[in-house]
Order: sequence, then C-alpha cells, then structure tokens
Amino acid sequence: MENNFIPLQIDFNKNKALVKRYAVKWTPTIIILNSDGEEHHRFVGYLPPEDFIAQIILGKGKVEFDLDRFEQAMQCFQEILVRFPKADAAPEAQYYLGVSKYKSSHDPKELKLGLEVLQRDYANSEWTKKAQVYSLIP
Amino acid sequence: MGKQIEWETSLTTARAKAKKAKKLILMDFYNNL
Repeated sequence: MENNFIPLQIDFNKNKALVKRYAVKWTPTIIILNSDGEEHHRFVGYLPPEDFIAQIILGKGKVEFDLDRFEQAMQCFQEILVRFPKADAAPEAQYYLGVSKYKSSHDPKELKLGLEVLQRDYANSEWTKKAQVYSLIP
Repeated sequence: MGKQIEWETSLTTARAKAKKAKKLILMDFYNNL
C-alpha cells in the first residue's frame, strides 16, 4: 500500500474542519485523494482484507481514469479482476475497464464487450444494470 | 508479521509527501468509540 499511497488517519471527533470539508458522516470512511486533496473514490464501513485491498486498487484506477491515463487505469481494473474476482469492487472494475477501453480506443464495441463480461460474470450487479444500455450498440 | 503502517495525521503534511513522492493519499476517518 505504501508504494502507492501516503496513509493518513483523521480522528472524526477532533478534526471537524476536514469532516465538514469531505462531508464525512460515519466511520470508517476511506477516501482516496490526489496530492491536491481532491477526492476520487470513497467507501464506508469495515471490509475484509481482500475487499479492502480491491477497493484501494479501484480507487487508484479511478484516479488514473479521472486523469485520462487509461492504460494505467486498465492495469488497476484488470488487477482487481485477476486477484480479487469475487470482491464487491470487481463488477465496478469490470465496468470501468470497458469504459477505459472505449475511451482509449474510441471503439463503442468495447462498451458492449464489457457488458457481455458483466452479464456473464456479475449478472446480478448494479454495474451490469448500469451497462445494460450498451446492448443497444450495433 | 506485516509491516506496521506509519500513518500521517496532517492532511497538509500528507499532501506535501504525496506531491514529492508522486503518490496518492489514503485518508481514513476513524472514531474511537
């Protein structure tokens, strides 16, 4: 983790300014920030180690995605799918993998291919519902 | 045994370190019940 992140702990009861700035209402709340303090991903609640790590990698992938670094984003999303395919973060990683492939190639078929993987591997996920519209792509 | 995490407690310090090391920040809001 420390290869990619500076870990920062904030006491919810003692740092009201940051609690307000990031609109934190419950703990634990984990937020992935860039070095300017801008938020890219958050999750709330205690997670088992594998789900926690998957969420952290997802957060890194979303930073890369937000910065239009799609190759690096895809590496993060693929890492989740290979190492933690059963994690709750995996369907979201698959969704963003398809979107990153599309953004990188400008080929809409990547969105449809991403949906097909979601339907095959994560049929009951909200991310499969969110990608359903891509079935209309010819 | 895993390596102990060395947590920062200041966002300003974490941002400076993140900028210098080209890293991200993992910010954990916790509550001692």
